Amino acid sequence: MVRLPYTTALTTLFSYGLLFAFGQLRDFFRKLIDWFKAKNVKGYAPICLGLEDFYVRRLYLRIQDCFGRPIASAPDAWFDVVERYSNDSNKTLKRTSNTTRCLNLGSYNYLGFAAADEYCTPLVIESLKKYSPSTCSVRVDGGTTKLHTELEELVARFVGKPAAILFGMGYVTNSAIIPCLVGKGGLIISDSLNHNSIVNGARGSGATVRVFQHNSPAHLEEVLREQIAGGQPRTHRPWKKIIVIVEGIYSMEGELCKLPEIIAVCKKYKAYTYLDEAHSIGAVGQSGRGVCELLGVDPADVDIMMGTFTKSFGSCGGYIAASKEIIQHLKLSCPAHIYATSMSPPAVQQVISAIKVILGEDGSNRGAQKLARIRENSNFFRSELKKMGFEVLGDNDSPVMPIMLYNPAKIPAFSRECLRQKVAVVTVAFPATPLLLARARICISASHTREDLIKALDVISRVGDLVGIKYFPAEPPKIAEADHDKLE
Amino acid sequence: MGRRAGSYPYYVEAAPPVDVNKNTEWFMYPGVWTTYILLLFFAWLLVLSVSACSPGIAWTVVNLAHFAITYHFFHWKKGTPFAADDQGIYNRLTWWEQIDNGQQLTRNRKFLTVVPVVLYLIASHLTDYKQPMLFLNTIAVLVLVVAKLPNMHKVRIFGINADI
Repeated sequence: MVRLPYTTALTTLFSYGLLFAFGQLRDFFRKLIDWFKAKNVKGYAPICLGLEDFYVRRLYLRIQDCFGRPIASAPDAWFDVVERYSNDSNKTLKRTSNTTRCLNLGSYNYLGFAAADEYCTPLVIESLKKYSPSTCSVRVDGGTTKLHTELEELVARFVGKPAAILFGMGYVTNSAIIPCLVGKGGLIISDSLNHNSIVNGARGSGATVRVFQHNSPAHLEEVLREQIAGGQPRTHRPWKKIIVIVEGIYSMEGELCKLPEIIAVCKKYKAYTYLDEAHSIGAVGQSGRGVCELLGVDPADVDIMMGTFTKSFGSCGGYIAASKEIIQHLKLSCPAHIYATSMSPPAVQQVISAIKVILGEDGSNRGAQKLARIRENSNFFRSELKKMGFEVLGDNDSPVMPIMLYNPAKIPAFSRECLRQKVAVVTVAFPATPLLLARARICISASHTREDLIKALDVISRVGDLVGIKYFPAEPPKIAEADHDKLE
Repeated sequence: MGRRAGSYPYYVEAAPPVDVNKNTEWFMYPGVWTTYILLLFFAWLLVLSVSACSPGIAWTVVNLAHFAITYHFFHWKKGTPFAADDQGIYNRLTWWEQIDNGQQLTRNRKFLTVVPVVLYLIASHLTDYKQPMLFLNTIAVLVLVVAKLPNMHKVRIFGINADI
């Protein structure tokens, strides 16, 4: 649920309408010009319809300097952004050898493991010497080392499930697992804002896919009742199984899943639950165990728990944690386990070390400090942004906080001006978000210091005034507090 | 002005819709109907200012342009500009068949059906029901309204526009 001024909604739609009209006009003349040079191969259908890349050609390329910026150092609290230039209105971007030292508000470096760590990095280097950079093999062939086995046991213990299985790529963890769990005759009920990997996995499964309104247990119950009463399409037989798929933290919203309510609805109607904790594992919860710990849900109540190692743990790949029977079934049937190269041993060691730091098994309390710092940093940053008058999505304790921009012209304006002020932010626009709801997404890290956050708030406040994205009245400063005077 | 003077803008709430089709999802948000009507009004002003014709003729031009544009984009052009995400499941559907997940008689469909009728009434009335404007306006409104009827869902008359 987003609140925005009505005039902003009108101007945003008008802007997109104008961009669409000019894009279509240019496409029309391009088609007219190319028609005279047509070298049609008779009888062949076109491989690519022209409509499919309209968005990229006519809208995205105009501002592609604001997306996919290359960096030249580890994505820590501060990093080096490579400078680029263009001679043809952003159709092509050329890199220079210059870099800009920027404050990093864009990486999913929740616990600060993306850079070198005093405990993790020596162990990774040691495992690099002992094992090799890659197994060059699949898990069922020669790709399983002691590290893989150890990490599977550690992940299962960490999330509170009997067993776990690893995959080398986070996206594949969803897109290859879901077809193994449910097939024709099954029903998948997916949150409307689920990640593309879940969407593609659901479509690839052959099951019927239904969507419920984002984070709405009431609508989920409505969809469940309707689908159970109606049965399978055409035959109306009962569904073979029903899986409800939700995410712990939605990466475009920064919003926590309403997990207790959703679990209650699923238990009531005998539906399985699949929880994607790609962003929430390691980032929320008293000891980093994710939304189950944060929201007080027993992990036994969630049937399948998915997570990635690419965010809080500074590594790559993902996992599925579930009962032993489900994990054994996945080991025998999942193509990501049978055919894909296994996770790199140093990457596995990195995750093992990171989890041990979080659990405090490295002999220090750095893990607890990191978790406390990211919670404190996130809540501080969110409350200060809201006081300034920004529309900030997401819940407290969530390290992802989108700042709403809305108008398409403000996307490049905000991004470029922040970069000029040495603050690197990620802007997100249609089609990754709905048309009306373009945003800048801030990701807070435990490696950010309070001074870093205050500097970022100062820059964002000035750029927000310049660009005009403070849609709410700012909170009047309290006379007694010097912090507010400094910020405003 | 604005925030400091104590007068605040009118806020609306935008909830993410259940429709996951990027090509039609934007029509679910607040402000779309108003923008649509304002665009028609601005188009009328534009026609009036560009050519020194009467308001009735300007409304006729707007009605015919609206007919051409909406017929092409709503009822002729198939697929979606964001095909990478949907695996081609909309390649055979027009925008009108994609909207509201194919559900008929929704508020948006009713609104889009009423707009050509109102345009027709305005244009015909302001031109005093004279020919040939009346004929052209009638053809435009008939084609648009028939194409929007629930019975015409996924129907291709004589196979017109049947393939991708």
